[in-house]
Amino acid sequence: MRTLTVFLTFLIPLLDVYSQEQDTIINRDYELDEVVVTALGISRQKRSLGYATQELNAKHLTANKETNLVNALAGKLAGVRTTNSQGDMGSARIVIRGETSIAGNNQPLFILDGIPVDNSQLFPTSSTGGNQSRDFRNAIADIHPDDIASISVLKGPNAAALYGSRAAHGVIIITTKKGRPNGLPGLGVTVNAGTTFSTIATLAKFQDVFGQGENGEFSYVDGKGGGINDGVDESWGPRLDKGLLIPQFHSNGIPVPFTAHPDNVKDFFETGITQDYGVAITGSDVRHDFRLAFNRQDQKGTVPNTQIKKNNLSLAADYKLTDRINVGASVNYIVTDAPNLPGGSYGQRAAGVMLQFLWFGRQVDINELKKDYSRNWNHSYYSNPYWRAFYNTTEQNRDRVIADVHLSATLAKGLDFRFRSGTDFYHDIRKYKIKTGTSGVPDGSYTEDAYTVKESNSEAILHYKSSFAEALGFDGLAGFNVRNNSYANNYQKASKLAAPDLFTLSNSKDPLESSNYFKQLRVYSAFASAQFSLHDILFLNLTGRNDWSSTLPASKRAYFYPSTTASLVLSQWLDLTGAAITFLKLRGGYAQVGNDADPYQLATVYNSQTAFLGNPIQTSSKKKKNPLIRPEKTHSSEIGVDIAFLDNRISLDLAAYSSNSIDQILDVQTSSASGYEYQLINAGRIRNKGLELQLALVPLRTSSCKWILDFNFAANRSKVIELDKEGLLTNYVIGTLGTQVVAAVGQRYGSLFGTAYKRNDKGQIIVDDNGRPKVDPNNKILGHYTPDWSGGVSNTFAYKNIELSVLIDAAFGGSLYSGSAQTGYYAGVYAETLPGRAAEFGGLTWTDDNGVTRDDGVIFDGVTEDGQRNTKILSAENYYKASYSIHEAYIFDASFVKLREIKLQYSFPKKVLRPLHVEGLSLSFVARNVAFLYRKTTHIDPESAFNTTNLQGVETLSLPTTRSFGFNLSLNF
Amino acid sequence: MKHILLPLFLLLALSACDKQLSDINVNPNATENPQPHFLLTGVLKQGADLYWGLNSSFGSSLLFVQHWAKIQYAEADRFEFSNSSSEITTLWNTAYASLITDLNTILAFPVEIAGNGYKGIARTLRVWVFLLLTDTYGDIPYREAGRSLVPAYDPQRDVYLGLLEELSQAVELLADAQETISGDVVYNGDLHRWLRLSYSLKLRIALRIADREEEIARQTVAALPLDELIASNLDNFAFIYTNSPQHNPQAAAFDTRDDYRISATLVNTLTELNDPRLTVYAQHPDDLPNDYVGARNGLSNGEAAAQGFSRTSRPGLFFLAPNAPAVFYTYSELLFNLAEAAARGFIDRHPDDFYRQAIEASLAQFGISQEATQAYLQQEAVLYDPTDFRRAIGLQKWIAFFGQGLDAFAEWRRLDYPRLSPGPAAVLNGKIPLRFFYPGAEQSLNFRAWKNAVDHQGDDLLSTPLWFDTSH
Repeated sequence: MRTLTVFLTFLIPLLDVYSQEQDTIINRDYELDEVVVTALGISRQKRSLGYATQELNAKHLTANKETNLVNALAGKLAGVRTTNSQGDMGSARIVIRGETSIAGNNQPLFILDGIPVDNSQLFPTSSTGGNQSRDFRNAIADIHPDDIASISVLKGPNAAALYGSRAAHGVIIITTKKGRPNGLPGLGVTVNAGTTFSTIATLAKFQDVFGQGENGEFSYVDGKGGGINDGVDESWGPRLDKGLLIPQFHSNGIPVPFTAHPDNVKDFFETGITQDYGVAITGSDVRHDFRLAFNRQDQKGTVPNTQIKKNNLSLAADYKLTDRINVGASVNYIVTDAPNLPGGSYGQRAAGVMLQFLWFGRQVDINELKKDYSRNWNHSYYSNPYWRAFYNTTEQNRDRVIADVHLSATLAKGLDFRFRSGTDFYHDIRKYKIKTGTSGVPDGSYTEDAYTVKESNSEAILHYKSSFAEALGFDGLAGFNVRNNSYANNYQKASKLAAPDLFTLSNSKDPLESSNYFKQLRVYSAFASAQFSLHDILFLNLTGRNDWSSTLPASKRAYFYPSTTASLVLSQWLDLTGAAITFLKLRGGYAQVGNDADPYQLATVYNSQTAFLGNPIQTSSKKKKNPLIRPEKTHSSEIGVDIAFLDNRISLDLAAYSSNSIDQILDVQTSSASGYEYQLINAGRIRNKGLELQLALVPLRTSSCKWILDFNFAANRSKVIELDKEGLLTNYVIGTLGTQVVAAVGQRYGSLFGTAYKRNDKGQIIVDDNGRPKVDPNNKILGHYTPDWSGGVSNTFAYKNIELSVLIDAAFGGSLYSGSAQTGYYAGVYAETLPGRAAEFGGLTWTDDNGVTRDDGVIFDGVTEDGQRNTKILSAENYYKASYSIHEAYIFDASFVKLREIKLQYSFPKKVLRPLHVEGLSLSFVARNVAFLYRKTTHIDPESAFNTTNLQGVETLSLPTTRSFGFNLSLNF
Repeated sequence: MKHILLPLFLLLALSACDKQLSDINVNPNATENPQPHFLLTGVLKQGADLYWGLNSSFGSSLLFVQHWAKIQYAEADRFEFSNSSSEITTLWNTAYASLITDLNTILAFPVEIAGNGYKGIARTLRVWVFLLLTDTYGDIPYREAGRSLVPAYDPQRDVYLGLLEELSQAVELLADAQETISGDVVYNGDLHRWLRLSYSLKLRIALRIADREEEIARQTVAALPLDELIASNLDNFAFIYTNSPQHNPQAAAFDTRDDYRISATLVNTLTELNDPRLTVYAQHPDDLPNDYVGARNGLSNGEAAAQGFSRTSRPGLFFLAPNAPAVFYTYSELLFNLAEAAARGFIDRHPDDFYRQAIEASLAQFGISQEATQAYLQQEAVLYDPTDFRRAIGLQKWIAFFGQGLDAFAEWRRLDYPRLSPGPAAVLNGKIPLRFFYPGAEQSLNFRAWKNAVDHQGDDLLSTPLWFDTSH
């Protein structure tokens, strides 16, 4: 770092041809006396803060037109980890500074203009989240980037303690655009239009040498065993492109050339198109301020017949009743209509897209399937992929209202009163259709799954700001909040349709499968904060909050948690400011955040099931609850330094933190032999320690030219300290998909725990009498999904009215269990299964049990129990299948470097626009997920996941990640 | 005055809030106060689904004993399981977390809610469930089951002896019960038939341990009142299903899929023996309306499918009817058990009488006529073999157990007849499984106890023989 500084000190003056800022889009990005939005929407000088914050303004977000807000944050913020699950229409998860909750939600709280808004991804109560046929978008994706003015990220308890229970995982404060920028009077209109094209970016390399079948044999009769191996959905069949004539599914029994179709998977996917239109009208005068906006986003996905249409209508208005009283209201009405979402990864034969491309015949001509949806290459297990895409659809409709009314009044000089009451309410219904005649669901089925989610908050705050003396400043507040949450789910399924293809609930052969679930909670909170400042150099911040939660037992219901942070502007105190150092600040603090439980965790209950011949059924819910739970506590300490050199050309923000979450309320999975599958424990402890760095360099800054380099880096280490007080439990099972994902005592959060090769003392794999690897009867920790470190580099070049920015981000050290690979190898479709399959691919000559001499022999690299090198030859097919039940074989290093984003923007000069009464006109081009610069998983995106739960680090049959290119036009007048 | 009123008002407001918050947290979705008869129906239904359902029966044990075979998705038929396969874990999880917990709930009720009748039934059913568990996994949590976060495993011997003791308690309770029982969809509240079942289970367990603890087995059998055992097919412990979706799990499996066929091993045996049950156990293949053709076990997926969906026999319609019964303990099994007890000299009777009656009871259970039954019994190959009771009883019990996967699996291991060999593509080094793995979750959730059990019993493999199984 020091060398770099010296180097730049030397270099920069050479480049500098500084003159006055001109009429360009170039702004200084790193104002150190800037004002930032902090907890409860209070604006504070950044210098006064005792913790790290990071802000993104509209410019960072709008041109991208990311369809999921979370993805738009990827790589731009230190310590913020985002994961796009799969495909281009799915969910994305965001975690700040590592997982601090062993069992609960680890994603930050989202606040939209002071209103807490929901970001859940809802599943039926009966499901664990992993077994969804669709990866529904997380709810924050409803927010349209064009409505956002800025995003402020509070990274953990130190910054967010005032937000209470849900602040332990950080808070993302979204401020939407209001009236006229800078309070200019008059009317303004902004028009946006954009189009983005997306294509699949990650597809495995397939082999195109062997077709469908087994033991080198195949002939199609009925696709379910009537021919030779025609029920087999694997590619261990005859050679392709060797002039063989074999009957296939589209040839009516006539032998036709058995040829490769290398792009038969790729050609199924289409080019996705997202179109965005938006118009915003803003107006301000002395008393009024309003913004009315409409945005529409119409996305057609890369999977055929998939679409999401989103309409956002928002109105924000403020009115000055008197000089002292201001009232206002806002409404966001968001309608999301998805006629069909792409089939997710889980092995539902009627819906999964990738399922039958990894269990596949490599010779299959996808165009022949497209011609007639009722025919298929395999009828044992599947329906035609187009049948599935066009007939077996899942529709989602979400209607959402986020609204508030607010009032502020100046009661006396320096004393304000604020009141806000806001609600986030939505109804989300999913309709699943399976067409009659679908393989495995011969009658067809119809399901409706509906959710109603509501959170409302009312909050009153008294705020006082004053300077007691010239040197001493005070800024304090006290307030009260009431929060109500409710959730209702109603699930109904006609599992067999009576009349074919009539998708209604009443058209059911059997009684409907149905369930419903309702929950609610209420929290009262009282809070206060005080900031003292001395000469604007030393700042001390104190906060405290007391919650009363309905979810805790009466005696433990009230819990208090304080925080204290301080900041010292050393550069000013010691008068260091000069040529070299522009700014130097030290900061630090300690915070506590308490947390309550989910509703209904106190009493063990028995569930009802459908009565049998009139006899009601009750049975254990398999979950033992705990009437004595106490609130969870997270203790967090943070220190940091802000430093800027050389006229702010180098600025560095370094933070170190540690958090300790104790008394965690865990619905811990227990041995069923304990009588319950889950028991509520109140003792979990997890520790996180980490380091974050943000470095901004301005290597070049002239009147017309600017080059900004932003680095961010974060490393987080978590350690699960204990699960129960007695130390009986060693693992908390986060989820299972193939391998288990666990929080193991003494280990990092998110360990992958599963079956491993049996090895001897030297670490060599032991094989059995047939030369196949043996499975170790003891499961092992095979990796962990949390990376060692992650970071990003963003380069921005601006020349006059042109700006180019390039974002690269990386994460290193995590692992991923890939069920796709398990299938791809087993089914012989991966190019990686070629070695050994014939003499020309290095296959050994051997004689099988039937006395046939073959050239597809492979020896598994291992030793026998007595340490002799393995000499048993397996057929290549058996070789690649031999590790199927060994999870270790499919654990991959999930490290990656991605060229995440390239953005080119041109703003027309104001000189040109002014005569046209146009205030601004800009054109931009954005490319996202441009390329992998480094990855170890050639067959999938190493960031793949199922959903936004804590079950990460496992994927199977996930949809390909997409790459997108978009154009956007923005016009203000 | 004002100064006193304000805090008082605040206090009142706060306590009102407190009550309000407690009310909000009352779960509206489920009950905290279950009823014994609702739990009883639940245990019987879930027990039947478990014993007769995919995971524990036709997805695993019914394939091991070669009653059924798979014609597609043949992985299970080749024993390609991991310790987290649902076939391996469902028995454990359902038995412990649903059945045993619900039965323990009944046993813990005060006498006003559940008296001796409910408790005697619950005790009997608890034994039935634990018996399935230990027969299948070996050493299992028993004494500490449902009582500890990390329950210790008991040696299999101790489990069997504990179950015999529990049956004595069940018998006492049932003999001294007056109350009216509701929700009993098996015996319709007839406590006397539950009493007979309890005694009959004692006989079953006594024979399970007979190769290891002959003296205990002998005394247990000697103490049984022979006139208080299952006395006819009407006493069969069986759960009768109804229409979809509460239909028989085997029927349900064929609703939407066509993955299973009757095993060639069984078809060939029945054909050799001219066994009239073949017409009940199997259907004619679609394309071969006059034949019965079994599918071979343990083939590769390609070979399995190549046998032809329309050229192999599905299991009989008797079994695939929606309201087909799931049977847990039949009169014929009881008679086979008596035959063996006699052959071992535990009771002073002729084994061949019981043996013949057992076969008669089995054929009657499947509606075979008297004439056909007598003709069958005349055959040389069907006659009792006094020199080797294991061979004769083993073979006939295996046939009579058709569909009762877990019990057929236990008795095949114990009697070692008929001699079965795995299919050509099976992956267990030429062996058939001798137990289930413990669920993989035990290693993550109850490691120390699991480790102790494995140290005691042997590696946690499918091929590790259990204590009761002296033949392997």
